[in-house]
Parts: sequence; structure tokens; C-alpha cells
Amino acid sequence: MLGYIIRRILAVIPVMAIVAVFVFLLLRLTPGDPAAIIAGDSATPAQLERIRESLGLNESLYVQFVTWVGLLMKGDLGTSLISSTAVTSMIGQRIWPTFNIAVLTIILSVLIAVPMGVVAAWRHRTWVDYAVMTFSVLGFSIPVFVIGYIFIQIFSIELRWLPVQGYAAPSEDLGRFLARAILPCLTLATIYVALIARMTRASMLEVLGEDYIRTARAKGVKENIVLFRHALRNAAVPIMTIIGTGFALLIGGVVITESVFNIPGIGRLTVDAILARDYPVIQAMILLTSAIYVFINLLIDLSYTFIDPRIRY
Amino acid sequence: MQFKSRKFDDAPVVLDIKNLTVGLVDNPQAAPVLDHVSLQIRKGETACLVGESGSGKSVTSLAVMGLLPKGALAATGGRIELDGGNLLEFSPTRMREMRARRISMIFQEPMTALNPVMRVGDQIGEVLDTHARMPAKERRARVLDIMGQVHLPDVERIYRSYPHQLSGGQRQRIMIAMALVLEPQLLIADEPTTALDVTTQQQILSLIAELQEKHGTAVLFITHDMGVVAEIADTVHVMKQGEIVEQAPVEQLLRRPRQEYTRQLLTAVPSLVPRPSRLAAESGPVLEVKRLDKTYSTPGIFVRREPTHAASDVSFEIARGRTLGIVGESGSGKSTVARCIMRLVDPTDGEIRVDGTDIATLSRRRLLPHRKHIQIVFQDPFRSLNPRWTIGRSLIEGPLNMGEDRAKAMARAAELLALVGLPDDAVSRYPHQFSGGQRQRVAIARAIAMEPDVLVADEAVSALDVSVQAQVLDLLDELQHKLGIAILFITHDLRVAAQICDEVVVMQRGRIVEHDTAANVLANPQHAYTRTLIEAAPGRNWDFANFRELGSA
Repeated sequence: MLGYIIRRILAVIPVMAIVAVFVFLLLRLTPGDPAAIIAGDSATPAQLERIRESLGLNESLYVQFVTWVGLLMKGDLGTSLISSTAVTSMIGQRIWPTFNIAVLTIILSVLIAVPMGVVAAWRHRTWVDYAVMTFSVLGFSIPVFVIGYIFIQIFSIELRWLPVQGYAAPSEDLGRFLARAILPCLTLATIYVALIARMTRASMLEVLGEDYIRTARAKGVKENIVLFRHALRNAAVPIMTIIGTGFALLIGGVVITESVFNIPGIGRLTVDAILARDYPVIQAMILLTSAIYVFINLLIDLSYTFIDPRIRY
Repeated sequence: MQFKSRKFDDAPVVLDIKNLTVGLVDNPQAAPVLDHVSLQIRKGETACLVGESGSGKSVTSLAVMGLLPKGALAATGGRIELDGGNLLEFSPTRMREMRARRISMIFQEPMTALNPVMRVGDQIGEVLDTHARMPAKERRARVLDIMGQVHLPDVERIYRSYPHQLSGGQRQRIMIAMALVLEPQLLIADEPTTALDVTTQQQILSLIAELQEKHGTAVLFITHDMGVVAEIADTVHVMKQGEIVEQAPVEQLLRRPRQEYTRQLLTAVPSLVPRPSRLAAESGPVLEVKRLDKTYSTPGIFVRREPTHAASDVSFEIARGRTLGIVGESGSGKSTVARCIMRLVDPTDGEIRVDGTDIATLSRRRLLPHRKHIQIVFQDPFRSLNPRWTIGRSLIEGPLNMGEDRAKAMARAAELLALVGLPDDAVSRYPHQFSGGQRQRVAIARAIAMEPDVLVADEAVSALDVSVQAQVLDLLDELQHKLGIAILFITHDLRVAAQICDEVVVMQRGRIVEHDTAANVLANPQHAYTRTLIEAAPGRNWDFANFRELGSA
């Protein structure tokens, strides 16, 4: 068990190394002079030279890589070309709104979707099941920004229950945070509720046909215990996979919601960096998102061994 | 043969089923699944419910448990009386309270009947939690006590184990412990030993008898195995197509069956007396296996497990037109040998000569032309045919791979179906449109479509009812006559081996412990393990087909 966990953690190293090499080469191997690309069309030769100097582009590729990795190890991701501030501190400011929204979204999605999926499977082929499936299809097919604006229209403009947009840190004022975060989270959650409910339903349907469910019923166990203690844990592996991947996608994919609700998160940071060709920031964002994906996949894999004692690698 | 002959006339009636009728919910006009079934079981009595698959045995038991599949089957008439109440009139909550307290059930597949992610001690404890409130300490003591009663070793360790860490027999003991922990009046056992090895089966049967004696439980025992019936039944109820056609005390039923159907069932039971020996082979061997070894080792950086010797030093040969049986319990290595011979797994060492060519080490590509010489039929006809392919497509796939012309292959497929006794319109039908026995015929047709020299039958009749089993065995025999193929017949069932094999190899823990003619192995076993196997065969002293003791002609 411990051996497996250690091996699985060690396996993260080569993956991250490959990502790092790719990110490094992204800028250096782009056709043409990276300095010219960065500086744009109207740059003077002096400006170009300064950019080359600051990126170390006059050194050999090998030296550049070693220097870059050295800085990376120290946690130095470079300096933004636009705002001239350290990329790490830019991300540091922006990551928490995104992270908080993502965590709240996933919690909401799981709390809504898992019971929905369980009940749909339990009441297979009844109106409950059909209602859940219909909701799923709708959740998938309506674009996120449409749902966002509909929520704003109903809850903020018509009912005036919640502010239209903005963000407050939960550490400063939890109430203000929740009031502002609930709509973006619900908006984001629709698609994840659809996804997780569907997966839960499918996985539960399979498990409910198993012999040990019949055994549990033959023991006289109450139906809710049959569903949640016996069936759900056996159905949990695919559900965990979807939740984990969903969370990773959330971190990377919050751009639209952050724009609609005007939240200062990394989604908007990335969009701004791409539009402004702020390469150090783009590089850092790629590295960060990859690291999040790898880390969450690691957590998912490790969770399997806790869910199902038969899974031993 | 010592039958049970106790009288139960004075014992109180525990379960009284009167004219129980169960029908399809969607289609009330269809013939009922159970048609006026009546049966009584008294305290301490073992009633066996026998019949072929689909006769309604399991539906009867599920109806008593109140666990008929919702929305599919429902009781439409009759009464199920227990404790003076009619179970059919009970509310779901009241019925739930009856389960495990008054009526318990154990199932066929101990491998799948336990929750794989819960410790077995907790699974037994859950019964107590559900029906009786008690402190954790007392609950644990009662669980350990019942685990001791079912003779599980090292109960403290097993209490904390997960099902996959236990053997099949141990899991079935857990199931029995779970069923009996609240001392119910009625235990329903639905084929509880069918999936177990004979020696384990014997232990489980005597365990059930012992606990029944101790607690006075009434047992409804569902089985298709007449040997088991002869061993354990007080009374026997024979079911056919949803009706009980005959009810009698066990000895009376086995000696003087009144109904034609009962006679058929008994006549189909294969005898433990081996078939008359055939002339020795005139030609040389077509399949030679020499010092075959298969070792499974797990490569690992941090953990090093002991390698498993699934087969070691296995040697035998089969001549054209002859049948060699490999007999052994689960884990004996018999299926590993079959898979090595098929090259479905690669042997670690040794030779496999088919028509003189050693195929043990050939590369995948060089092996291809030799594949046609050796074909296999698997155990489960429900899962070994592609459900989305027509029978015809399944039959011609092999010949097409060998480069045969499609039209010719199709024509041959029709001939093959006739040969195995299926109508020729079967070519364009799908597997789900056939019964188990018919599918196994298709699987055999698929194998012989390649015109093999050797046919490997891996538990090929184990999933079939006895009457169907007899037909498929006859078919194999007939094909062997016509085509002269050699058959390697792998089975756990000594009765079946006795009926079809010229020679028998007995395997234990990956090694051959005995190899002789079928007559010698069965009548005069040399190895202690072979003797154990034969002694564990239920009803071995009874000649079912002739309704009398064996050897009392």
C-alpha cells in the first residue's frame, strides 16, 4: 500500500519534467525571433535587444534551459512583460478566487448530483428517472454564459436577492463571499451536475443488479442503507474519476464564468496574458494547470485504493 | 446408500405455501411463472426443490422472501403462511423485519453474494444492527460466536477480512453465518454448493445439516444436483415449468418415481461407473504435452511476491479419436493447461506438439496456421458468443481468417449447424434467441468449423442442466466418431468424466497426481487425493438412472 503510494508519487516527476521541457521549448522554438513576437510590430531595435537580454535569448539553448529550470526550482517563474511584476505573485493573487469558486462548485455539484443519480437508478424507468435524465441533457446543452445571465436576470435583477457580480474573499467576510459566489458556482455546477448525475446513475444501475445487493435486501436491510452503504461505495470508482477530472477542468475552464461575473481569477489572468502576448505568464499558467491536472489525477488514483480494498497495485 | 428417513408428521409446520401463483406484471395473459405451487415444510425438515433451469425453483424462493424483481414478477394468487400470517399480505416494512429474523436465504455464488468493499465481520454485524439493538461489544461477540459455529478458522482475522481475501468455501460459511445469526425458523438455500468444489461442497452440506440439527431450522434447499438431493433431503419436490409435478420422501422418489418427468431427470444423471472402454488407438498421438510449466510471477520494485506455479511438469498425449479428461478442483491448474495448449497464455517451459510441430514457443505470426488444428469450447455459452453477431458470422470468422472464400464458408456453416442438430435458419439468428444447450452446440460448431485435430472442451457442459448435458455429451461423442477428432475434456465433475473419457488425468496444485484409464481411476484410485474426490461426490453409492443402489444389479 505505502509502496504503491510512493511509486505513484514518484511517477509524477517524469510527467512534470516533460511538461516543463515542452513549456520551455514553446517560446524558444516558435518560428522567428521570440523577442520580435513578444515586442510586437512597432518595436525599436533597442527594445528588441532589451527583451532578448531579459529572456537570456543570446545564450545557447542548453544554457537557457538550465538557467530556466534553476529559476523554476527556486519558484521564480519570471516577470510579466506587461506589468513588470513577478509572475508568481500575479498568480498568487488570482488563484484563490478561482480555487474557492471551483471548490464550492464541486461541493455543490456532488451534493446535488449524487443523490439525483442514486434516486434515478433506484427508480429506474419511472418519471423520477426520466426527469433526472432530461435535466442532464439540458445541463449539457445550454451554454454556460446563457445560464449565467439567466441566473443574474432572475436572482439579481428581478428578485434582487444577490449582487449582480463581483467577488469577496471568504477569509474576510464569508457571507459576502457566499452571496457573490453562489450564482457563478450554480452556473458552473449545471454541467457538472448533469455529468456526475449521469455517471452516478449508470454506475448505480450496474451495481444494483449485483448479487450482494440482493443479499443485503435478504438481510432485511433498509432500502436507503442498501443504496447508500452497499451500492454507492461499490459504484464510487467511476464517479470519483468524473468528479476529479471535473475539478481539474474547472480550474482550467472558468474563463467564461469569471468574465460573466467579473471575478478576478486566473481564468481572466490567462485570457489577458494571451491577448497581451505576456509569454512568461502564459508559460506559468500552462505549468500550473498541468501541475493541477497531474496532482488531481494522483489523488483520484489514490482514492481508488481507499474506496475498493481489491484495488492493490 | 443411507437415506434420511425421519418422520415429521408431529413437528409443527413452519412454512405452508398454498396454491401460490406468480405471473408477469407486464403481461398478465401469459402463462404464469408459478402455477398453483403448494408445499409444506416442518420444523427440522429439509425439503429439496429440484428441477431444471427455468422451472421456477428460484422464483418460489424469492416469492417467500418477498424479493421478487419489482415491476417484473408479482404474486397473483395463493398464500405463503409463516408464523400464522400470510407473507403476501405483509407491508414492505413488516416483510423486511421478517427477513433474517424468521426467514433467511443463502445464494449460489459466494463469490458475488458478499459486498466486496465491506469487511465480512461488519456484514454479519449489519444483520444484528438491522434487527436488534445491542452494544458494539456484544454485537462483536455474537458475530465471532456465529463465525465459530460455522467452523471458520482464526475468526479474529477473518472478522477483519474482505471477501476477496477468503476462499469460496469460507465465503459461503460467512453467508451461512449471516443467515443463521438470528436463528430464523426457515432457511432457504438456493444452490448454495453449485459453485463450490466437491470436497468443499461436502463440508458445507454437513455444516448446514449440523446447524439445522442444533437450531431446529426448516430448510428449503434448491438444487439441480440429484446427488446432493440423495445426501440431504427428507422430502423432494420436483418442479417443471412452474408446477410441482411430484412430491415424495427422498427414498421413495429415487426408488419409485411416479412421474415420467422425474424418471427422465433421474435417468439423465450421469453415472459414476465409467463407460465401457474403447479399443486402444491405432495411430500415434495427435497432441503431445511434455513437461509443461506455467509460472506466474509479479514484477515489482517495492514488493516481491512468491511466483505462482499454476502448472508444473505436466505431460500427457492424446491419439486421434480418443478423449482424455483432466479432472481437478478449482486452482488445480486444469484450465491453465488448456489455455497453454491453446496458446491463449504462453507456457513458461515445456513442449506442446500438435501433429508433431512444437507450438509452445512459436511467435504469434508463425503460430497462426497451426491455430486451426486445435480449437476450444468454453464453459459459459452465454458469454462466449458475441451477442451482436449472427450465428453465421461467428461460425465463419475462423475460416475467413484462414483465407477461405466467404460463400463457401457460409455454405459450410449451414452444414455444421445441421451436424450439431440445429435448424439451418439459425445462421441468421442471434445468440440470445437460443437456449443454453443450443448455444453450446453453436460453440461446438464454431470450433469444428476449423476442422481441428484436437478439440479442447473447458468445462463445456458444466453450466448445463443434466438432460441437456447428456445431449451435448452425446453430440461430442458422435462428432468424434464422424470426424476422428481428439478431445481434451476438462471438468471438475467426475460423473461427466466417467461418461466421456477414455483416460483421466487428475490434477492437484498444478501437478498431475494420477493418470490412468477412466475405469482404473474411478474404480481403483491410487492417489489419496483421487480417493478424496471420489468419496466427496454426492450420492456416489446410488445408481440414479436405474433407481437402485450401485452394484445391486
